[in-house]
Amino acid sequence: MAIQVTIGILALQGAFAEHQAAVHRLSLTIRPVAILVRTPEELAICDGLIIPGGESTTIALLARLSGLLDPLKEFVKIKPVWGTCAGAILLAQSVIGAKKGGQELLQAISISIARNGWGSQVESFEVPLSVEGMKDSETPFIGVFIRAPVVLELSSSPEDTPIQVLARLPAELLPPALSGLDDSDPKTIVALRQGRHLLTTFHPELTPDDRFHEYFVRHCVLSTI
Amino acid sequence: MTTPIPGSPPPQPHGAGTVNAPSIAPARSSGGGASSLGTFGVKSGLAQMLKGGVIMDVVNVEQARIAEEAGACAVMALERVPADIRANGGVARMSDPAMIKDIVKAVTIPVMAKVRIGHFVEAQILQSIGVDYIDESEVLTPADEENHINKHNFKVPFVCGARDLGEALRRIAEGAAFIRTKGEAGTGNVVEAVRHSRTIMSEIRKVASMSEDEIYAYAREIRAPFHLLKETSRLKRLPVVNFAAGGIATPADAALMMQLGCDGVFVGSGIFKSGDAAKRARAIVQAVTHYNNPQILADVSANLGEAMVGLTM
Repeated sequence: MAIQVTIGILALQGAFAEHQAAVHRLSLTIRPVAILVRTPEELAICDGLIIPGGESTTIALLARLSGLLDPLKEFVKIKPVWGTCAGAILLAQSVIGAKKGGQELLQAISISIARNGWGSQVESFEVPLSVEGMKDSETPFIGVFIRAPVVLELSSSPEDTPIQVLARLPAELLPPALSGLDDSDPKTIVALRQGRHLLTTFHPELTPDDRFHEYFVRHCVLSTI
Repeated sequence: MTTPIPGSPPPQPHGAGTVNAPSIAPARSSGGGASSLGTFGVKSGLAQMLKGGVIMDVVNVEQARIAEEAGACAVMALERVPADIRANGGVARMSDPAMIKDIVKAVTIPVMAKVRIGHFVEAQILQSIGVDYIDESEVLTPADEENHINKHNFKVPFVCGARDLGEALRRIAEGAAFIRTKGEAGTGNVVEAVRHSRTIMSEIRKVASMSEDEIYAYAREIRAPFHLLKETSRLKRLPVVNFAAGGIATPADAALMMQLGCDGVFVGSGIFKSGDAAKRARAIVQAVTHYNNPQILADVSANLGEAMVGLTM
């Protein structure tokens, strides 16, 4: 019997349709099926989950109102999850610059992150990135950064799964408030992996390049089932 | 291997007006070169992040905080909601930049603000204070009856209203990265938003079935730029994100616009002109996510208190 792999796309708010289309474009020997997840029942059949870009406060609130918050917290403990932008915020251990009263997090990856670290939409940008371990890694991946979060520090303790940095921004492209850092500062990290979880502060789903989706399905999902 | 699995594909809405437009506006990355600020890719990209969300009109910091807590994906900062603009009359202009800045400071979600049609200096001012999106809006008194703002000249992205496909594509040609229906703001009456949305969707279906030579003639007929009309035909949807606006007052109104094929909704006077604003705001947010699920719509529509007093047209 063929193996069926189901990738859930958390579809409460944001750019979920783009992720679904990107997963369906992949040509792997095991073709993943991408479903939109809005209820705990839909989450329960997924082998991996992508949390899309959107507004993290909105997504967190809708998750709570839809009864998905606790199932999501359980899901991240046992299954692979990839967060892009707002999704990256939700996966972090702690967040700076959350709305008054704080924000619910899934705390799947041991980093702290700053919301909207670059400033307003006027400071959104795109830039070619070199990504470690990516197929055709000599071809840069275009990172689209939209009101993107900034990784502040890696807070993993020795007993945690080690964090692997996949891509960094050149320090001169950091926002003016963070200028003067060297290239190895955590704030330059824009893509990382901790065990089966993947995090990008930019939006691979907004480019026609599906290599990050392939990376997630191949290295985070298929390798763990 | 492709046996159907529970929950997939998502249930399709059942309704006469249902359109199965692909919900993916195309990627617009420039695809190379060095770092670039304010490209059309990042401008339209923010609109992609707002999809499936509700953008709420707010007139002060307190309302902005209520909107954020209720799950708004962005707020529209303005001095008077459209219902009051209609009631008061006079010339409606860009809001006080100090008031907009206070709202930007108070919330973490994106903040939009309105400028008068054609008033590019108001737009320069809003860009300089760091709003996330500008609405070149017919709700304010137009500053130029002939020309809209050349929106390509700005790093900040623009949203514009449209009543039909030709109007939507003319605005995109001028640089709009995001389209909304015009509807009839400040009335609490959804009829015009439905009319504009249905018109746009029906024209998209028409052009999607045309051959290229027919598209030339149709472009002249609806006064749309040919290359954008051709792209619309290929995509079977607008080439940018498309929200509903103007008269949405209830969760059912919001879900109706989503089932008609909109990517999200603006709610103006409908929230803070109603009884329990926080509860209604949250209900409309849930209705936009679960627009295909009548049971959830029934739950969130219950006990919302009085809706805004509607105007008939």
